[in-house]
Amino acid sequence: MVGMNVRTHNSKLICMLVLLVSTAVAQGGKAPSVSIAPVPLVTAPRAAQTMVDLNFRVSSGFHINSNTPKDEFLIPTALKMDLPTDIVLGKIAYPEGKDLTFPFSPDQQLSVYSGDFTITVAVHPLLAVTPGKYVMHGVLRYQACDNAQCFPPKTLPVSFDVKVVREPATHHANPAQSPHVHN
Amino acid sequence: MLYFGMHMSRRSAPPPLSTKASAAPDFTLESLNGQQVSLSDLRGKAVLLNFWATWCVPCKIETPWLVELQNQYGSQGLQVIGVAMDDSGKDDIAKFAQDMGVNYPVLLGKEAVGDAYGGVAFLPQSFFIGRDGKIVDKIIGLKGKGEIEDSIKKALDTEAAKNEASAQTMRENGPAQK
Repeated sequence: MVGMNVRTHNSKLICMLVLLVSTAVAQGGKAPSVSIAPVPLVTAPRAAQTMVDLNFRVSSGFHINSNTPKDEFLIPTALKMDLPTDIVLGKIAYPEGKDLTFPFSPDQQLSVYSGDFTITVAVHPLLAVTPGKYVMHGVLRYQACDNAQCFPPKTLPVSFDVKVVREPATHHANPAQSPHVHN
Repeated sequence: MLYFGMHMSRRSAPPPLSTKASAAPDFTLESLNGQQVSLSDLRGKAVLLNFWATWCVPCKIETPWLVELQNQYGSQGLQVIGVAMDDSGKDDIAKFAQDMGVNYPVLLGKEAVGDAYGGVAFLPQSFFIGRDGKIVDKIIGLKGKGEIEDSIKKALDTEAAKNEASAQTMRENGPAQK
Protein backbone atom coordinates (compact mmCIF):
# COMPACT_ATOMS: atom_id res chain seq x y z
CA MET A 1 0.00 0.00 0.00
CA VAL A 2 2.74 2.37 0.99
CA GLY A 3 4.68 1.26 -2.09
CA MET A 4 1.68 2.04 -4.29
CA ASN A 5 1.33 5.45 -2.71
CA VAL A 6 4.97 6.16 -3.35
CA ARG A 7 4.61 5.00 -6.97
CA THR A 8 1.49 7.13 -7.44
CA HIS A 9 3.22 10.11 -5.86
CA ASN A 10 6.26 9.59 -8.10
CA SER A 11 4.07 9.26 -11.19
CA LYS A 12 2.29 12.49 -10.34
CA LEU A 13 5.61 14.20 -9.74
CA ILE A 14 6.95 12.96 -13.07
CA CYS A 15 3.78 14.10 -14.84
CA MET A 16 4.07 17.52 -13.22
CA LEU A 17 7.71 17.78 -14.22
CA VAL A 18 6.97 16.73 -17.80
CA LEU A 19 4.12 19.25 -17.94
CA LEU A 20 6.32 21.96 -16.46
CA VAL A 21 9.10 21.32 -18.94
CA SER A 22 6.81 21.00 -21.94
CA THR A 23 4.99 24.19 -20.97
CA ALA A 24 8.27 25.98 -20.52
CA VAL A 25 9.55 24.79 -23.89
CA ALA A 26 6.29 25.72 -25.56
CA GLN A 27 6.50 29.20 -24.06
CA GLY A 28 10.12 29.65 -24.93
CA GLY A 29 9.88 27.97 -28.34
CA LYS A 30 12.82 26.48 -30.15
CA ALA A 31 15.21 29.33 -30.51
CA PRO A 32 18.02 29.42 -33.05
CA SER A 33 21.63 29.64 -31.99
CA VAL A 34 24.92 30.33 -33.68
CA SER A 35 28.06 29.10 -31.95
CA ILE A 36 31.77 29.43 -32.64
CA ALA A 37 34.22 26.54 -32.33
CA PRO A 38 37.21 27.14 -30.05
CA VAL A 39 39.95 28.84 -32.04
CA PRO A 40 43.42 27.32 -31.59
CA LEU A 41 46.13 29.75 -30.54
CA VAL A 42 47.21 31.71 -33.59
CA THR A 43 50.93 32.28 -34.01
CA ALA A 44 51.46 35.43 -36.01
CA PRO A 45 54.91 36.72 -36.96
CA ARG A 46 55.34 40.46 -36.91
CA ALA A 47 55.20 42.29 -40.22
CA ALA A 48 53.43 39.39 -41.87
CA GLN A 49 49.84 38.45 -42.57
CA THR A 50 48.39 35.36 -40.90
CA MET A 51 44.97 34.00 -41.85
CA VAL A 52 42.68 32.89 -39.02
CA ASP A 53 39.70 30.62 -39.67
CA LEU A 54 36.69 31.17 -37.44
CA ASN A 55 34.33 28.21 -37.62
CA PHE A 56 30.68 28.88 -36.86
CA ARG A 57 27.70 26.57 -36.61
CA VAL A 58 24.02 27.46 -37.10
CA SER A 59 21.72 25.20 -35.10
CA SER A 60 19.80 22.60 -37.04
CA GLY A 61 16.64 23.76 -38.78
CA PHE A 62 17.66 27.41 -38.96
CA HIS A 63 19.53 29.62 -41.37
CA ILE A 64 21.03 33.09 -41.20
CA ASN A 65 21.52 35.56 -44.03
CA SER A 66 24.85 35.43 -45.79
CA ASN A 67 27.08 38.48 -45.85
CA THR A 68 25.46 39.42 -49.14
CA PRO A 69 21.72 38.79 -48.87
CA LYS A 70 19.67 39.31 -51.98
CA ASP A 71 17.25 41.80 -50.47
CA GLU A 72 18.04 45.31 -49.32
CA PHE A 73 15.97 44.92 -46.14
CA LEU A 74 17.65 41.72 -44.93
CA ILE A 75 20.34 41.93 -42.28
CA PRO A 76 23.68 40.56 -43.50
CA THR A 77 25.80 38.36 -41.28
CA ALA A 78 28.78 40.50 -40.37
CA LEU A 79 31.83 40.08 -38.18
CA LYS A 80 32.99 43.25 -36.51
CA MET A 81 36.31 43.06 -34.66
CA ASP A 82 37.42 45.62 -32.11
CA LEU A 83 40.40 47.55 -33.30
CA PRO A 84 43.48 46.59 -31.34
CA THR A 85 46.35 49.00 -31.10
CA ASP A 86 49.21 47.63 -33.14
CA ILE A 87 47.72 44.48 -34.60
CA VAL A 88 46.02 45.28 -37.84
CA LEU A 89 43.06 43.12 -38.76
CA GLY A 90 42.92 42.89 -42.49
CA LYS A 91 40.24 41.74 -44.83
CA ILE A 92 37.45 39.59 -43.46
CA ALA A 93 36.53 36.92 -46.00
CA TYR A 94 33.00 35.53 -45.92
CA PRO A 95 31.90 32.32 -47.63
CA GLU A 96 29.40 32.31 -50.47
CA GLY A 97 25.82 31.91 -49.28
CA LYS A 98 23.64 28.99 -50.28
CA ASP A 99 20.56 29.77 -52.34
CA LEU A 100 17.29 29.16 -50.56
CA THR A 101 13.63 29.70 -51.37
CA PHE A 102 10.57 29.46 -49.18
CA PRO A 103 7.88 26.97 -50.23
CA PHE A 104 5.26 29.77 -50.19
CA SER A 105 7.39 32.04 -52.35
CA PRO A 106 9.63 30.20 -54.81
CA ASP A 107 10.48 33.47 -56.56
CA GLN A 108 12.02 34.99 -53.42
CA GLN A 109 15.68 33.95 -53.64
CA LEU A 110 17.71 34.11 -50.46
CA SER A 111 21.42 33.73 -49.82
CA VAL A 112 21.99 32.05 -46.46
CA TYR A 113 24.37 30.18 -44.21
CA SER A 114 23.18 27.03 -42.49
CA GLY A 115 25.05 24.28 -40.68
CA ASP A 116 28.78 25.01 -40.55
CA PHE A 117 30.48 27.97 -42.19
CA THR A 118 33.87 29.64 -41.89
CA ILE A 119 34.83 33.29 -41.85
CA THR A 120 38.51 34.09 -42.35
CA VAL A 121 40.25 37.07 -40.77
CA ALA A 122 43.68 38.35 -41.71
CA VAL A 123 45.87 39.26 -38.73
CA HIS A 124 48.84 41.51 -39.34
CA PRO A 125 50.95 42.51 -36.30
CA LEU A 126 53.02 45.58 -37.00
CA LEU A 127 56.77 45.49 -36.58
CA ALA A 128 56.48 47.65 -33.45
CA VAL A 129 54.35 45.10 -31.57
CA THR A 130 56.01 43.57 -28.55
CA PRO A 131 56.03 39.80 -28.97
CA GLY A 132 53.53 38.12 -26.65
CA LYS A 133 49.97 36.96 -26.35
CA TYR A 134 47.09 39.18 -27.35
CA VAL A 135 43.34 38.63 -27.32
CA MET A 136 41.25 39.75 -30.27
CA HIS A 137 37.62 40.58 -29.54
CA GLY A 138 34.63 41.15 -31.76
CA VAL A 139 31.03 40.22 -32.43
CA LEU A 140 29.21 38.35 -35.13
CA ARG A 141 25.88 39.97 -35.94
CA TYR A 142 23.29 37.72 -37.49
CA GLN A 143 19.57 37.32 -37.94
CA ALA A 144 18.12 33.82 -37.99
CA CYS A 145 14.99 32.29 -39.45
CA ASP A 146 13.50 28.89 -40.07
CA ASN A 147 11.04 28.09 -42.82
CA ALA A 148 8.14 29.86 -41.15
CA GLN A 149 9.42 32.53 -38.81
CA CYS A 150 12.27 34.90 -38.13
CA PHE A 151 13.98 35.90 -34.91
CA PRO A 152 15.33 39.33 -34.03
CA PRO A 153 18.95 40.13 -34.86
CA LYS A 154 21.50 38.90 -32.33
CA THR A 155 25.20 39.23 -31.67
CA LEU A 156 27.63 36.47 -30.77
CA PRO A 157 30.81 37.45 -28.94
CA VAL A 158 33.91 36.30 -30.82
CA SER A 159 37.43 36.17 -29.41
CA PHE A 160 40.66 34.42 -30.18
CA ASP A 161 44.24 34.52 -28.93
CA VAL A 162 47.12 35.65 -31.08
CA LYS A 163 50.72 34.93 -30.12
CA VAL A 164 52.83 37.55 -31.79
CA VAL A 165 56.34 36.35 -32.49
CA ARG A 166 59.39 38.02 -33.97
CA GLU A 167 59.50 38.15 -37.70
CA PRO A 168 61.59 35.39 -39.29
CA ALA A 169 65.23 36.31 -39.63
CA THR A 170 66.04 37.41 -43.13
CA HIS A 171 69.39 37.63 -44.90
CA HIS A 172 69.98 41.16 -46.01
CA ALA A 173 72.04 40.78 -49.13
CA ASN A 174 73.26 44.13 -50.22
CA PRO A 175 74.20 43.98 -53.85
CA ALA A 176 75.43 47.54 -53.77
CA GLN A 177 78.26 46.56 -51.49
CA SER A 178 80.96 44.31 -52.75
CA PRO A 179 81.46 41.28 -50.54
CA HIS A 180 85.09 41.42 -51.37
CA VAL A 181 85.91 44.80 -49.94
CA HIS A 182 88.32 44.51 -47.10
CA ASN A 183 90.02 47.20 -45.16
CA MET B 1 15.03 18.58 -15.27
CA LEU B 2 13.14 20.67 -12.73
CA TYR B 3 15.82 23.33 -12.94
CA PHE B 4 15.59 23.27 -16.72
CA GLY B 5 11.84 23.77 -16.60
CA MET B 6 12.04 26.58 -14.08
CA HIS B 7 14.91 28.18 -15.93
CA MET B 8 13.01 28.15 -19.19
CA SER B 9 9.94 29.51 -17.43
CA ARG B 10 11.92 32.40 -16.05
CA ARG B 11 13.40 33.18 -19.44
CA SER B 12 10.01 33.50 -21.12
CA ALA B 13 8.98 36.54 -19.13
CA PRO B 14 5.75 37.54 -20.86
CA PRO B 15 3.19 34.75 -20.46
CA PRO B 16 1.65 33.46 -23.68
CA LEU B 17 -1.55 35.24 -24.51
CA SER B 18 -4.59 33.03 -24.41
CA THR B 19 -6.67 33.13 -27.56
CA LYS B 20 -9.79 31.87 -25.85
CA ALA B 21 -11.78 35.06 -26.23
CA SER B 22 -9.49 37.09 -23.99
CA ALA B 23 -9.65 40.84 -24.33
CA ALA B 24 -7.00 42.16 -26.71
CA PRO B 25 -4.60 44.38 -24.74
CA ASP B 26 -5.13 47.98 -25.72
CA PHE B 27 -2.23 50.13 -26.86
CA THR B 28 -1.50 53.41 -28.52
CA LEU B 29 1.25 53.58 -31.13
CA GLU B 30 2.43 56.10 -33.68
CA SER B 31 1.61 55.36 -37.29
CA LEU B 32 3.89 56.00 -40.23
CA ASN B 33 2.08 59.25 -40.93
CA GLY B 34 2.56 60.47 -37.38
CA GLN B 35 -0.90 59.78 -36.00
CA GLN B 36 -1.47 58.16 -32.61
CA VAL B 37 -3.57 55.05 -33.15
CA SER B 38 -5.22 53.12 -30.32
CA LEU B 39 -6.59 49.64 -30.72
CA SER B 40 -9.67 50.69 -28.76
CA ASP B 41 -10.47 53.22 -31.51
CA LEU B 42 -11.24 50.26 -33.74
CA ARG B 43 -13.89 48.72 -31.49
CA GLY B 44 -16.72 47.55 -33.71
CA LYS B 45 -14.36 46.36 -36.42
CA ALA B 46 -12.71 42.98 -36.77
CA VAL B 47 -8.98 43.59 -36.48
CA LEU B 48 -6.11 41.57 -37.86
CA LEU B 49 -3.14 42.70 -35.78
CA ASN B 50 -0.01 41.65 -37.63
CA PHE B 51 3.41 41.90 -35.95
CA TRP B 52 6.15 42.01 -38.58
CA ALA B 53 9.58 43.43 -39.41
CA THR B 54 11.37 44.59 -42.54
CA TRP B 55 14.06 41.88 -42.08
CA CYS B 56 11.50 39.09 -41.86
CA VAL B 57 11.13 37.18 -45.13
CA PRO B 58 8.03 35.23 -44.06
CA CYS B 59 6.45 38.59 -43.18
CA LYS B 60 7.29 39.83 -46.65
CA ILE B 61 5.70 36.75 -48.16
CA GLU B 62 2.41 37.21 -46.32
CA THR B 63 2.16 40.99 -46.75
CA PRO B 64 0.60 40.81 -50.25
CA TRP B 65 -1.97 38.39 -48.85
CA LEU B 66 -2.86 40.88 -46.12
CA VAL B 67 -3.24 43.60 -48.75
CA GLU B 68 -5.59 41.35 -50.75
CA LEU B 69 -7.55 40.34 -47.67
CA GLN B 70 -7.94 43.98 -46.59
CA ASN B 71 -9.37 44.71 -50.03
CA GLN B 72 -11.62 41.67 -49.91
CA TYR B 73 -12.99 41.99 -46.37
CA GLY B 74 -12.58 45.70 -45.61
CA SER B 75 -16.15 46.42 -46.61
CA GLN B 76 -17.34 43.77 -44.15
CA GLY B 77 -15.57 45.49 -41.29
CA LEU B 78 -12.04 44.08 -41.36
CA GLN B 79 -9.16 46.36 -40.47
CA VAL B 80 -5.65 45.02 -40.87
CA ILE B 81 -3.10 46.76 -38.64
CA GLY B 82 0.63 46.18 -39.14
CA VAL B 83 2.93 46.65 -36.16
CA ALA B 84 6.56 46.97 -37.27
CA MET B 85 8.78 45.43 -34.61
CA ASP B 86 12.20 46.20 -35.97
CA ASP B 87 14.84 48.76 -35.16
CA SER B 88 14.94 50.10 -38.69
CA GLY B 89 14.26 53.77 -39.02
CA LYS B 90 10.82 55.01 -39.88
CA ASP B 91 11.99 55.73 -43.43
CA ASP B 92 13.00 52.12 -44.04
CA ILE B 93 9.70 50.85 -42.70
CA ALA B 94 7.82 53.36 -44.86
CA LYS B 95 9.82 52.34 -47.93
CA PHE B 96 9.12 48.67 -47.30
CA ALA B 97 5.40 49.39 -46.86
CA GLN B 98 5.34 51.47 -50.01
CA ASP B 99 7.26 48.85 -52.03
CA MET B 100 4.78 46.21 -50.88
CA GLY B 101 1.74 48.36 -51.66
CA VAL B 102 0.49 48.17 -48.09
CA ASN B 103 -3.06 49.52 -47.92
CA TYR B 104 -3.53 49.43 -44.13
CA PRO B 105 -2.07 51.42 -41.24
CA VAL B 106 1.45 50.50 -40.18
CA LEU B 107 2.35 51.36 -36.60
CA LEU B 108 5.82 51.68 -35.08
CA GLY B 109 5.97 48.87 -32.55
CA LYS B 110 7.31 49.00 -29.01
CA GLU B 111 8.59 46.16 -26.88
CA ALA B 112 5.91 46.77 -24.24
CA VAL B 113 3.20 46.15 -26.83
CA GLY B 114 4.92 42.94 -27.93
CA ASP B 115 5.12 41.87 -24.28
CA ALA B 116 1.42 42.50 -23.85
CA TYR B 117 0.82 40.07 -26.70
CA GLY B 118 2.91 37.28 -25.21
CA GLY B 119 6.39 38.51 -26.05
CA VAL B 120 6.35 38.24 -29.87
CA ALA B 121 9.73 36.53 -29.71
CA PHE B 122 9.62 35.78 -33.41
CA LEU B 123 7.77 37.00 -36.46
CA PRO B 124 5.30 37.06 -38.08
CA GLN B 125 2.52 36.76 -35.53
CA SER B 126 -1.08 37.69 -36.20
CA PHE B 127 -3.87 38.18 -33.70
CA PHE B 128 -7.48 38.17 -34.86
CA ILE B 129 -9.69 40.40 -32.78
CA GLY B 130 -13.47 40.35 -32.96
CA ARG B 131 -15.62 43.44 -33.08
CA ASP B 132 -16.11 43.14 -29.33
CA GLY B 133 -12.37 43.57 -28.74
CA LYS B 134 -11.72 39.94 -27.86
CA ILE B 135 -9.01 37.82 -29.44
CA VAL B 136 -10.64 34.97 -31.29
CA ASP B 137 -7.60 33.42 -32.95
CA LYS B 138 -3.90 33.82 -33.58
CA ILE B 139 -1.43 32.56 -36.16
CA ILE B 140 2.20 32.14 -35.23
CA GLY B 141 4.71 32.09 -38.07
CA LEU B 142 4.03 31.85 -41.77
CA LYS B 143 0.93 29.88 -42.67
CA GLY B 144 -1.08 29.81 -45.86
CA LYS B 145 -3.36 32.60 -47.02
CA GLY B 146 -6.31 30.25 -46.56
CA GLU B 147 -5.63 29.88 -42.85
CA ILE B 148 -5.41 33.65 -42.42
CA GLU B 149 -8.69 34.02 -44.27
CA ASP B 150 -10.38 31.43 -42.04
CA SER B 151 -9.27 33.34 -38.96
CA ILE B 152 -10.53 36.61 -40.44
CA LYS B 153 -13.92 35.02 -40.93
CA LYS B 154 -13.89 33.97 -37.27
CA ALA B 155 -13.15 37.53 -36.24
CA LEU B 156 -15.90 38.88 -38.47
CA ASP B 157 -18.38 36.28 -37.30
CA THR B 158 -18.40 36.99 -33.56
CA GLU B 159 -21.59 37.46 -31.50
CA ALA B 160 -21.03 41.18 -31.65
CA ALA B 161 -20.87 40.92 -35.42
CA LYS B 162 -24.12 39.02 -35.53
CA ASN B 163 -25.77 41.52 -33.20
CA GLU B 164 -24.50 44.38 -35.32
CA ALA B 165 -25.76 42.69 -38.48
CA SER B 166 -29.11 42.04 -36.82
CA ALA B 167 -29.39 45.66 -35.68
CA GLN B 168 -28.50 46.82 -39.16
CA THR B 169 -31.26 44.63 -40.63
CA MET B 170 -33.71 46.05 -38.08
CA ARG B 171 -32.73 49.59 -39.01
CA GLU B 172 -33.16 48.88 -42.69
CA ASN B 173 -36.36 46.79 -42.56
CA GLY B 174 -37.95 47.82 -39.29
CA PRO B 175 -38.99 45.37 -36.55
CA ALA B 176 -40.32 42.00 -37.67
CA GLN B 177 -44.18 41.93 -38.01
CA LYS B 178 -45.98 39.59 -35.63
